Amino acid sequence: MTTIASGLRHARCASSIAAAQWRPAILPRSSFQLAIRSITSDSQKPPSLEIEAAESVPIPYQGVTHARVVPATPSYFSREPQFNDLYIGISKLLTKYNHLPTVPPSEAPQMPWTKLEEMRAQMGEPIKSSHYAKVMRVAKRLNLIEPSLRPQEVKVALTEFTRDINPFLNMPNPITIDKFGRAVGVGKRKESTARAFVVEGTGEILVNGKTLSEAFGRVHDRESAVWALTATERLDKYNVWVLVEGGGTTGQAEAITLAVAKALVAHEPALKTALRRAGCITRDPRTVERKKHGHVKARKMPAWVKR
Amino acid sequence: MASLSLRTLVRPAIPVAPRIQPIIAAFSTTSFLTAGPPAVKSRKDLPKKTKKTYKKKQNIVPVKKPGPGERKAFRKRIQLSNNSALPVTGIESLEAATMARAESGGKMFAVPDQVVDQLRALEAFKTTQTWNLFRKPHVLVRKETVELMSKLEASVEKKEAFKCVLTGSALSGKSLTLLQAMSYALLNEWVVIHIPEGQDLTNGNTEFSPVPDTEPMQFTQPVYCLKLLQNIYKANKAVLEKTPVKMDWSRLTSLKQGATLADLALSAKESEFAWPTLSALWTELTQPGQPPVLFALDGLAHINKVSAYRDPSFNTVHAHELLLVRTFVDALSGKTKLPNGGAVIAATSENNTHYHPSQELVLSQLEAGQAGREVPKPNAYEKKYDDRVYDALKNSEVIRLEGVSKDEARVLMEYWGASGMLRSVLDSRAVAEKWALGGHGIVGEMERASLMTMRM
Repeated sequence: MTTIASGLRHARCASSIAAAQWRPAILPRSSFQLAIRSITSDSQKPPSLEIEAAESVPIPYQGVTHARVVPATPSYFSREPQFNDLYIGISKLLTKYNHLPTVPPSEAPQMPWTKLEEMRAQMGEPIKSSHYAKVMRVAKRLNLIEPSLRPQEVKVALTEFTRDINPFLNMPNPITIDKFGRAVGVGKRKESTARAFVVEGTGEILVNGKTLSEAFGRVHDRESAVWALTATERLDKYNVWVLVEGGGTTGQAEAITLAVAKALVAHEPALKTALRRAGCITRDPRTVERKKHGHVKARKMPAWVKR
Repeated sequence: MASLSLRTLVRPAIPVAPRIQPIIAAFSTTSFLTAGPPAVKSRKDLPKKTKKTYKKKQNIVPVKKPGPGERKAFRKRIQLSNNSALPVTGIESLEAATMARAESGGKMFAVPDQVVDQLRALEAFKTTQTWNLFRKPHVLVRKETVELMSKLEASVEKKEAFKCVLTGSALSGKSLTLLQAMSYALLNEWVVIHIPEGQDLTNGNTEFSPVPDTEPMQFTQPVYCLKLLQNIYKANKAVLEKTPVKMDWSRLTSLKQGATLADLALSAKESEFAWPTLSALWTELTQPGQPPVLFALDGLAHINKVSAYRDPSFNTVHAHELLLVRTFVDALSGKTKLPNGGAVIAATSENNTHYHPSQELVLSQLEAGQAGREVPKPNAYEKKYDDRVYDALKNSEVIRLEGVSKDEARVLMEYWGASGMLRSVLDSRAVAEKWALGGHGIVGEMERASLMTMRM
């Protein structure tokens, strides 16, 4: 309490504080001048001989070469100065590190590049998409530099072109095979959800505790339920135990396809490409279209009535 | 000058190039062509729009409608051969003891032509079975078949009836196993009686008449019995003709001295005498010294319910009060002994059935008892349990038919391939695929998945 009071008492002494405060107010001047592009370097250090002589008569405009303030960056008068600065910065970096070895684009680290809209919002500048493309080309070229040899400067510069959140790090948890040798895959289609427990075996398939013929009346549905195994010729190598719920028969059968495929990939990752080609990896996003007001169904309109 | 200037206003100053006129007119002799289109003087001369009507014309081509019963006959016809299918060579024919031998398990066998005729007379072939896809009827002898046939064989040695119920999931081959049992019996010179559909007896579609002085009232089905008697005669002619009548049936019919069972069966010409004759035949067959009998019935659930018939006071009639059904039920429950051996086999149906809690309970209890498992208890909240069903089934054995093994499936598919029905490469993978698609080897489902699905 006493220390605060004493501090305040010091603060009351206006002259000393004003003097102390004034100096830092002047000092930023030099720093402000630092921001101004200095064309001549000698303006900073006045010759010592002249100081003694100048003490008596102040000579104006000492060390000033420009009649007006020179802008800090060459982009000062451009329409999008910050963006232009970025461009200049990475162009310089590219000329500096052009000699470094590069990797093919497929091997370059995946970067969550900032989208044009995002960059416009961040900088508040009306960036042209052609300009943006030009800048991104340079940034992507810098990203090709061999990661182990990449200078820190480049890394820092590239962060300005990336989003804060990296969606490429958002990976699904890998499916593991548990101690019983089961891999559990989940698949969805329309309203149906299927969980498939795949173990190595002899080709027995149970859907909700029933055999395939009891679970699905249509032969086509049975075939699509085991399509992941048939397409990869693994039907006699695995046993499948499925829990499926929701939706109709077709949806359930195709949900099982996806679930089995995912679990199968856990057993044999090399099959993923074959399964993708067989259409067992991509989820079919089509679902029921919602009903709209004023319509009888999603699209159907009520019949025209005269009165 | 003024007129000239005005003219320039009206006409183009640039001279128009002279047009080449067609000179057809000069050579034409017809006035039609020269006349050109008629001059349009007023709106009346304009071509009028004619309204087109698209009313469908009545098709008056006389079409011959199928006669009464023709459609049903087409639907119910049994086609046992197909000339487009390839004949399969190197398959043995069934003989008397073939199916009872353990080594014939998992093999295909041809049904001999004579047996085919007999089975056809017994109506053992069903329309739902795929006989029409192959050149000749062949059957797969599976593990359960061998088991059943060896029991039939043992029944003759023991002089005791083998009573069993065939059950299992839909399309698993229950009716076909029944057919195999019948062909075994026919090959071994048994007398075979077959009721092809239990439903026909109880759904009220055949005539019935009460038996006088019975309490509760019992009923006979004269028309059905006459047809059954004729079928029995047709199928078992050879055996019946060898077997002499042992009892005196003079009050029923006039039979000569040394008459055979065939004469007895043929003696019923009218439906009124059908049931007494059938009853007499059955009594004869249950006498010692006669040939063994196979009494088979398909569609068990339908004879274990309250039938669609009503007695004169309009009370419902339990199916067991129908005398033909009662004969079967008594044989199945062991009330009627078969002193010459033989078998009473009933097959359940999964596609043509109804909710039957007491039958399901009895069968599950019997099955659990056979397997040494805990016997399931009746549901305390179920009201519809029928004690008569329990009494009818309690002494029988349950044989459950499910899918075939992969080896048997391969044999079957090789036969399909040899018949030209299966075009793809037949390896273990293909077998495993069809086996899985067919619900772990349900034969009917495998057929559906591989033979009856069109592949383009």
